[in-house]
Amino acid sequence: MAYLYNLPNATSGIDAVMIQTMGSFPWLGALILMFVYLVVFLGGITRQKNKIGTADYSAWAIIASIATLIPALLLSVNGGYIQLDWLIIVVGLNILSAIWFFLDKKPSEI
Amino acid sequence: MGSQTSLTISIVMIALFGMAIMGFAINFASDNNANMSISDSSEVSSVYSSQSGNLSSFKDESEDTYTSILDTTVEPGSDVIPSSAPMSLTRGSLLSTAKNMVTIPIVYIFGGWGSPFAIFFTTLLSIISLLFILYIYKTWKGNP
Repeated sequence: MAYLYNLPNATSGIDAVMIQTMGSFPWLGALILMFVYLVVFLGGITRQKNKIGTADYSAWAIIASIATLIPALLLSVNGGYIQLDWLIIVVGLNILSAIWFFLDKKPSEI
Repeated sequence: MGSQTSLTISIVMIALFGMAIMGFAINFASDNNANMSISDSSEVSSVYSSQSGNLSSFKDESEDTYTSILDTTVEPGSDVIPSSAPMSLTRGSLLSTAKNMVTIPIVYIFGGWGSPFAIFFTTLLSIISLLFILYIYKTWKGNP
């Protein structure tokens, strides 16, 4: 069976598998970060709605974006995982979330 | 958002949050000898340094405002003070701060100030400017 890309060498560790897969599919890093963001954002909103009946969307947006920034920074330590543009986009996402959060709240609620 | 004070505090908090996040990311990369750092981008570096300048200006302006409030006098029989200086804290540097904060998202997510979506942020900044003007005027002179 022919594959669309070369299969990664799975005998040298999960990090090598990730880097080799990202060599064939550079968007994998962005998808991992998007996965982290959506799990925290949608999971937090759903859990809070189930618990108290309403959800604080802007707060979960800022929590999710910070939770995405941490793995993005860790992935940036070594080359090959994510690109500089994506790291800056995550920082930009943090700033957009902060704009939403702080304009949404009264000073007494912050 | 409900008053000049809360709008001012919101924008200062946005600026401080942005500075904290950018500072954390830059220092994290520096401490760990990271392969890449957000400061490798000239756009981010210039926003970071100009934001520091704007926040310093905000500090100076807040001291000036404090002084002007202490110096304020109200003439007998007058409804308002002769100058709007005590309400001047939200001018200049804070609006530049708001513009600086949206520079990174607009350049890296929405394709720069010339992109079709940029009109969204331009209008948002215009509304914030207008709110500042209205808040200052209404606080000083009352409802027109």
